[in-house]
Amino acid sequence: MKQGYKQVKRMTPAMRIIHWVNAICMVGAVITGLYIGHPYYQSFIADGAVDKYVMAWNRYGHFIIAILFDVTSVIIAYLYFFSRFEKPYKKVIPNGKNIAEFKAVVVNLLTLNRKKEFDSSHADSFNTVYFTIFHLLLAWMLLTGLQMYVHGLESGMSSIGTWWPWMLHLVTDWTIPVCGGTLMDVRIAHHMTMWFILCWVVFHIYYQVWRTIFWKEADIAIVIGGSKFVKDDSAN
Amino acid sequence: MSDRIETVKKLFTSKSSRVETNKGDTYYQELFEKCEARLNEMRSLTPANKLDFTDLLEENGIDRREFMKWASATTAMLMLPPMFTPLVADAAVMMNRAPVVWLELQDCAGNSEALLRADGPKIDEIVLDIISLEYHETLQAASGHQAEKQLDEAMEHFKGKYLLFVEGSIPMGMDGQYGTIGAKGETFHDHLVRCAENAAAVVAVGACATFGGIPAAAPNPTGAVGVMDVIKNKPLINIPACPANPANMVGVILHYVLTGQVPELDSLLRPKFAFGYRIHDNCERRAHFDAGEYVEEWGDVGAQNNFCLYKMGCKGPMTFNNCSIVRYNEAVNWPIGVGRGCIGCSEPDFWDKYAYERPMADAKIKAPTGGVEKTVDEFGLGMLTAAGIGIAIHAAASTVAGKRENSGESHE
Ligand code: HEM
Ligand code: SF4
Ligand code: SF4
Repeated sequence: MKQGYKQVKRMTPAMRIIHWVNAICMVGAVITGLYIGHPYYQSFIADGAVDKYVMAWNRYGHFIIAILFDVTSVIIAYLYFFSRFEKPYKKVIPNGKNIAEFKAVVVNLLTLNRKKEFDSSHADSFNTVYFTIFHLLLAWMLLTGLQMYVHGLESGMSSIGTWWPWMLHLVTDWTIPVCGGTLMDVRIAHHMTMWFILCWVVFHIYYQVWRTIFWKEADIAIVIGGSKFVKDDSAN
Repeated sequence: MSDRIETVKKLFTSKSSRVETNKGDTYYQELFEKCEARLNEMRSLTPANKLDFTDLLEENGIDRREFMKWASATTAMLMLPPMFTPLVADAAVMMNRAPVVWLELQDCAGNSEALLRADGPKIDEIVLDIISLEYHETLQAASGHQAEKQLDEAMEHFKGKYLLFVEGSIPMGMDGQYGTIGAKGETFHDHLVRCAENAAAVVAVGACATFGGIPAAAPNPTGAVGVMDVIKNKPLINIPACPANPANMVGVILHYVLTGQVPELDSLLRPKFAFGYRIHDNCERRAHFDAGEYVEEWGDVGAQNNFCLYKMGCKGPMTFNNCSIVRYNEAVNWPIGVGRGCIGCSEPDFWDKYAYERPMADAKIKAPTGGVEKTVDEFGLGMLTAAGIGIAIHAAASTVAGKRENSGESHE
């Protein structure tokens, strides 16, 4: 370890697994989602239609990813409140301390790291809010996606029982009027939100790399080894 | 806004489009007796229309067997058990006792055409022929003051009993002056409100009367709306589609004549027996959809092999209607069957949101603010580019600033 630095644990193995599952799912969801929206390659397979299932596999992949997202987002929602490690909800409550910290981090970013007046060893308010936005976008994807999905269960039945479409209607039907009133609006919203998420991802990656380079605290290692390094004041 | 909130509330409490088709013997026994009593009562009425159904069937060369086949199919469509077949047949015969007032507002008369212009009328059309049309602006012989008198008399005579069919949207702009009727220049809006007042139920037929349809498409110069936005205090049934399928009109009238009730409706007030099906799930091209075999341009190899029309803009996946099952013109064919995609004609806002003949992802869509027309991907890529530029500037600035800092450090 570099002299004068100490190691702080930031992400548990479970959190890191969730992070990478999410990242891989994201790529998969975009690739399959764009195919569903506009099939961009052709299936020239000299086989009967019943054998090749190109669209069906894409949709299948998209939905499996959706289920993974479902599960991880439930876990994450749980961790927000009950994590024994760090409870992120404490950082998104808009109290004086958090707002001040949020501002300080933004100032740090805008002054190109000239000013750094907050404790960077722990998850800061700015990043936690930023992650919360992601989870909200993902939840929105889930809700609009499941709304589109339930269109195909119009008989009210499914292989796992009638409760499933019933629950999906109960939980997602409100997205129709919120998106603009028609089923197509939900689809437009779903597709559009993908771009918001992509923008989110681009800044997210940039920001973590930027921190790593300019803070010199190995932030990028958090998501791999689970910890970062901060100057150990007590050593000096 | 309060409208929106209302819809949200309704949606939270609405069930799926499923109709419980087995409500138990007691329920159906009771309904059966009720319907029987109702038909007996009707039988005692003198028909308002002199046309006789049985004669008409004979004239058109339709035998009893064919008629009974139709009756059992219609019973199934209405989601009633087979024991109702004789009642449905009776009800069809007594359709000449069902008084109907038909209003023609801002539209193309396509729904009237749909039920009149079938070549060699089939049973659905004959049923519609013999309903007692007390007033139909396009069809009646009477005109001017005479027509108005006829309307007033019908409304008086069948007070609280007649079904009001409405075709066409209601222009609300300029105080409704975009559409007026009669010598007094009554606006469509006032005309509709007046005629609906004493109706037993209101049936909106076609895309325009239900959700505003093409007149309501952007920029909606006349401020067109559907009947459901004007009439709030009456039982209302929406039979959208462009044109509404005569089979569904017959279904609704029959259901009403038979049971005296409005059929089970979905959250858009469409009868579930007709609009509880998604086009995409009953489409003969669905195997090609799942296989990823699409028509890429009109007349290509895919088109010749009946591939899926998704990439030509088919909106079957987002459209609820039964035309993939009952088809049009007594099941002769339907749009996707003849090789062109569904344009979502039974959904609200279909002209702006569905009918652009390309996949949604490729369509230029108006932003809610009005102005820009871009595809979602163009808009999204624009956003991403903007984010990229912002990041590039920040990165460059950071590097320069970092260097300066470093050199500063070395001076110390
Ligand atoms: C978060 C990542 C996700 C991304 C980036 C994404 C992206 C997309 C895209 C681009 C489309 C095509 C829309 C169009 O242009 O027509 C689509 C369709 C769809 N997505 Fe997603 N999606 C995501 C998550 C989900 C989730 C969680 C679900 C939940 C089940 C879901 C369900 C659907 C459905 C049902 C469709 C329509 C496909 C069809 O029925 O043919 N998506 N998605
Ligand atoms: S033609 Fe339309 S309704 Fe039929 S399978 Fe293709 S997308 Fe679905
Ligand atoms: S295929 Fe679609 S657009 Fe055509 S009539 Fe049926 S619902 Fe309407």
